[in-house]
Amino acid sequence: MTAGEIAAHLLGSCRSLKQFDAYMFGSTLRGIGEDVDILVVGSSGDALSQLKQELQAAGEFLPLHILYMLPSEERRTNFVTREKCVQLGLVMVAAEI
Amino acid sequence: MSWQVKRALAYIAEQPRLSAQHVAGELIRIEVEDQPDVFAVISAVNKVDAATATSYRQEHPEMDFLCGYRKTCVWPGDTIEYLQRANIGWGSAGTLTSAAFDGEANTASHKTYFFPDRLLRQYGRVKELSREYDRIYRVTLKTGTVLKIGMIADYEPNADAVRSLWDEFGPVDIVWNINPNGSPSLEAIEAGIELGCEVVIWEELKERLRTA
Repeated sequence: MTAGEIAAHLLGSCRSLKQFDAYMFGSTLRGIGEDVDILVVGSSGDALSQLKQELQAAGEFLPLHILYMLPSEERRTNFVTREKCVQLGLVMVAAEI
Repeated sequence: MSWQVKRALAYIAEQPRLSAQHVAGELIRIEVEDQPDVFAVISAVNKVDAATATSYRQEHPEMDFLCGYRKTCVWPGDTIEYLQRANIGWGSAGTLTSAAFDGEANTASHKTYFFPDRLLRQYGRVKELSREYDRIYRVTLKTGTVLKIGMIADYEPNADAVRSLWDEFGPVDIVWNINPNGSPSLEAIEAGIELGCEVVIWEELKERLRTA
């Protein structure tokens, strides 16, 4: 699967993603890579537990490596900018163009 | 061909001096310049239990290395013991390619945990070490104190990493951030306090072991 296909698959399979900011980063954006790096930013709690279950099911045939961050952790580390993370929605749209 | 074998072959094809072919099922053969070929099973399981490892070995007796392709793959301690006794290397895809380069596929262990394992085993105040999982140890000190230690390899472990470790492996006394350049986030340390464990780096762990 390409990065765009993976993004579309995750967005289509995981309804709870709407409650979070989700990004792709790392080697999958540039080619095949060892695994698929995903960043999820949002609060902990029941919604996150639900999302983890959905992502586990969606990743049955994918080597997903998912990093979950609280918004404060993302702000402090500036992770999105530093790692050149791209929103899943944009990854999907870019692949469709 | 399974998805993880396809991805592993594609990943290996990106590595200089390595090539790989599918052999059968989840078994691939890796060819390396100036090193012996490596027969590796590429598994997609989330946890490689001993029964799974035994089954792979029965199916592919030529196996040199068992690769848990998912980054989140967990290796119980009895699986690790079984594979090491059988002279089969184990670990991630990155561990596999490094081991193939070095001609050490049969003795390699997951490179994420290799040095932390050595640090604990060689630390003078440790009397006994029981590896419950690749990242979970029960450490008995010479003073008699027993500590359960969990490892997180992230560069900047966050609160979720600490909570997830606790949820998956049960209560620990100490969460050790094993990345040598790592620095746990404030939220990770706070999550540890809420749960009832310390989140530390090696220097802090040494001090804790020294005084426990």
